[in-house]
Amino acid sequence: MDFPENLPSDIGRLEQIVSHFFPKALHIVLNSRIPSLQSRGRSRERLSGLNVRKSDKWFNLVMGDRPPALEKLHSWHRNILDSMIIDIILVHPISTDTLDVDDDHHGDSTVRSAETVIERWVVQYENPLIMSPQSSESATRYQKVYKKSIILLRSLYAQTRLLPAYRVSRQLSSSLASSGYDLIYKVSSFSDIFSGPVTETMKEFRFAPVEVPPGRLCASVTYRSDLSDFNLGAHITLPPRIITDYVGSPATDPMRFFPSPGKSVEGNSFIGRAGRPPLTGSSAERPHSWTSGFHRPPAQYPTPNQSFSPAHSHQFSPGLHDFHWSRTDAFGDNHQLSPPFSPSGSPSTPRYISGSNSPRINVRPGTAPVTIPSSATFNRYVSSNFSEPGRNPLPPFSPKSTRRSPSSQDSLPGIALYRSSRSGESPSGLMNQYPAQKLSKDSKYDSGRFSGVLSSSDSPRFGFSRSPSRLSSQDDLDDPDCSCPFDFDDVDESGLQYSQSLDRRKTSSSISQSLPLGRRSSQDAAVGVLVHMLKTAPPLRQDSSTYMASMSGVQREGSVSGTESEFSMARSTSDALEELRNYKQLKDLLLSKSKSGSGATRVH
Amino acid sequence: MNCEVCQLKELEVESFEIREVLRCILHTIVFHRALGLIRPKDIDLELFEITYVQCGEIEVEKKIDEKIEQFVNWIEKHPNKKSQICLSFYEVKSKQPSWFTNKIERLYWEQWYINLNVLQPAKPPVGKSHHSKLVMDPGEASEERSSRRTLLEQSLQEVLFQIIKFVNEKKDHVPPINDGVIYCPFEITIPSSSDSAFGMDMFKRILHSGHPSMLG
Repeated sequence: MDFPENLPSDIGRLEQIVSHFFPKALHIVLNSRIPSLQSRGRSRERLSGLNVRKSDKWFNLVMGDRPPALEKLHSWHRNILDSMIIDIILVHPISTDTLDVDDDHHGDSTVRSAETVIERWVVQYENPLIMSPQSSESATRYQKVYKKSIILLRSLYAQTRLLPAYRVSRQLSSSLASSGYDLIYKVSSFSDIFSGPVTETMKEFRFAPVEVPPGRLCASVTYRSDLSDFNLGAHITLPPRIITDYVGSPATDPMRFFPSPGKSVEGNSFIGRAGRPPLTGSSAERPHSWTSGFHRPPAQYPTPNQSFSPAHSHQFSPGLHDFHWSRTDAFGDNHQLSPPFSPSGSPSTPRYISGSNSPRINVRPGTAPVTIPSSATFNRYVSSNFSEPGRNPLPPFSPKSTRRSPSSQDSLPGIALYRSSRSGESPSGLMNQYPAQKLSKDSKYDSGRFSGVLSSSDSPRFGFSRSPSRLSSQDDLDDPDCSCPFDFDDVDESGLQYSQSLDRRKTSSSISQSLPLGRRSSQDAAVGVLVHMLKTAPPLRQDSSTYMASMSGVQREGSVSGTESEFSMARSTSDALEELRNYKQLKDLLLSKSKSGSGATRVH
Repeated sequence: MNCEVCQLKELEVESFEIREVLRCILHTIVFHRALGLIRPKDIDLELFEITYVQCGEIEVEKKIDEKIEQFVNWIEKHPNKKSQICLSFYEVKSKQPSWFTNKIERLYWEQWYINLNVLQPAKPPVGKSHHSKLVMDPGEASEERSSRRTLLEQSLQEVLFQIIKFVNEKKDHVPPINDGVIYCPFEITIPSSSDSAFGMDMFKRILHSGHPSMLG
């Protein structure tokens, strides 16, 4: 064994072991706890006997040069029988409320701090009263003792890295700013006994003693196992760390951005949610790139309502912005938030519903009336509605469609709600049950709005009002729900029925038959009616056949029979005869007048 | 000379934690058995808030890392298994040379058994609910993982305390320090693929660690 110093006696060597044990232990403990006492010159180069001081080779544990403070301590501890007690003290700030008078204070009047012993290392050489008999193998005895003391110091070294105070020391040494915390030490030969409550929070670890005749080397540590009471983590600023779960990163859980689906979003802007499931469509949960400017992290959302409304307003607006601003109606910004009636989130059709019937509908309070758009804009609106990806393509708002497809009815509960509040009927089969009175009311109410349409459709409407079958068509014309007054699906079908009957009757004079009910709009229909009127107007020249037909078409009330051709033939003949008679009478009258005029000269 | 055996507390680790855990344990043990002149090296674990000590010898580091890699490869072939790594310290005893044998005998005086239960992460089921599972799993899995990590950190600290305690209590069996020898020679035994080889290793170990009178 490479013993540092060759001493003549075994006892001297043993005494040397003990005497060097104390400073080595002190060096190990303070080096791991007090950053200012950390040894310098500890390079990673391979150890060689040349670059290591003899004093540092003790116990085969190279620690580096001992700081001057430790040298002084070593010189102080001369008597090996004296215990060496190393207190590691944590200086920490305290609040004035919990200030204990008995605690030690720093001299700084502005900073209130306290000192708490978090570790106590005790190294002592216990000398028994009875001397143990020396073994015969004295030459190897100190080698064994030295080996065991080396192992003891190895374990003490490892233990200093495992106790909680080591983390505190590392935190304080790496802290960027002064935090009011500090670790200091106190070395003494005796120490105050820990109070009862303190010992309850402290644990003790005793190292196995090493027999060093005549006594034995003992080491123990009493430490606080839990240092969370001092809130070290909250006050110590550590070097910056990469946050891997930063909110807003695409890799994070999208569910964390939004309220849970179970919450019902009852924002005011989303009216019409009564009876409708919360808006938890995929668009709500999935952050869109174009909502990044408006979406805020959930931590900033005070309520789920607010979190949804701005996001949704801008989620649904892009496809409709062009349309909305092109009209520049009474829509305010609030109506960008106007809720879609459909869970798909498309507010196109519902917007019209609400706007046109706001005084009537209590479903959506706060929505301003809107003017019915022109057919062109409606077409664009409908097409944009259908072209929106990821949305349920809403069918054209038509009673026919709602009648035919209950599913679409279900998907438009808001519309159903409106329907039921308006007509008082069940959502299914709505349009056909509209009473005529309501129709007139609607027309009266909507006169201002439907002015452009009504003016061209007045007479046909009047004509329509007579036929109950026209009511549905009329409803389509007048229905303010529908952005397009005409529900061309419905009318087309009814028109188709009429055309079929007309084919059988072979009449071209019926209004319904001749009505050019285009699919496009009421205006087109009105134009068609006008054209028809012009076509069927009596010609300037007396074309008996066409005139008869037009006359019959104008005066015709509507119903046709199967014998229409004969009837028309009979009517035309009788009319002709009557006209002939009328001409004859007129002629006779004129002739008589002329004769009487000429005969005034001669009296018969 | 007795062979002291220490069975360390079993640790449940995931495959990516094996290297750090094994390095920590093996180096801590070897540090207490590297009784020559050393300059200790403090190593901070990345996965846990634990600092352990290495003896600073490059050969030791290399030898340990090689064995750990072999073990990791073995674990990949034998997943979800409880495994044991044996760190044995021995003395080289040259047998009396005879006509037939001239082997160098190893006398094991200390054995450490590191018990690991390597857990494989549960894979999400492939199927219709795959997407929904993926959506749900990250939150739950991260919580589960963090709690398991905390438990493992505590267990690892307990294992290190166990090592220190054992090292302190048993010192008499440690052979004397030879001049120029930095650390006690050791070998690391990992589970082998074939049972027969493992059995042979065990048989050799029994022979070497037997009573000196048996060996003659």
